[in-house]
Amino acid sequence: MASILKVDTITGVTTAGSIAVTGEGNSTTTNLQQGLAKCWVNFNGGGTAAIGDSLNAASITDQGTGNYKFTFTANMGNTDFCATGTAKETDSTGAVNNNGTGAMCHSHSASTVEFISFSPDGNTRDCTIAGLDIKGDLA
Amino acid sequence: MASELRVNTLKDASGNNSIGMSYVAEGTAKAWMSLNGTGTIALRDSFNISGVVDNGTGSYTPSYSSNFGNANYSASGAGGSSNSNANVRLNTPAAGSQDLETRASNDGSQYDEAYTRFTATGDLA
Repeated sequence: MASILKVDTITGVTTAGSIAVTGEGNSTTTNLQQGLAKCWVNFNGGGTAAIGDSLNAASITDQGTGNYKFTFTANMGNTDFCATGTAKETDSTGAVNNNGTGAMCHSHSASTVEFISFSPDGNTRDCTIAGLDIKGDLA
Repeated sequence: MASELRVNTLKDASGNNSIGMSYVAEGTAKAWMSLNGTGTIALRDSFNISGVVDNGTGSYTPSYSSNFGNANYSASGAGGSSNSNANVRLNTPAAGSQDLETRASNDGSQYDEAYTRFTATGDLA
């Protein structure tokens, strides 16, 4: 029988921040809270940098060519979170670079993370299509 | 007291934002890590990572505490801070581990990365 649970908040019984979800193989469980992305961003860093869609991203700051800072709405609990991303860069003329992509995340704090996009030659370039994903512990 | 709830769909109390349990189970990341890959390597934080083997300069193998059901999961990585054009290259995955390398994009050289990040989403065993 199909069932629907309507709630606003789900909290663990034994530990508030830990809920086990049965995995696809039906033999192991995974921690729901640890597996959830705490922030994700789709953005265009060309011209006036703008967020297309996002979760828990309050703002984007264009800090120069290929350098963007994101501020979280709800802060992370520490600076040990896992930030990954990918980007498609423009070349020096602003045209899309089809030679490859590169992105890295650094200089992060509990409330912000910086995203760097660069071309295969190692030079920072603005990106037109980019995604950022963050896993870790919320404050 | 531990309890188990069996449902097909979750909604907020207003009946909006519906999501099926299959999306919850399959859509959540099953493993992630932030690794200090320099010197004696050390996990900064992680989920479902039992340990990481240092294979040499810029080469690491994280293993999972709970294995994936197959090697067809989705993995991605990123570096940052130790090199101005840090890339994480993922090699052939296994159900229980994932070899990865941190490389400089400008010349492809491997180097130890202070912030080596990796995340994996897929089906658990």
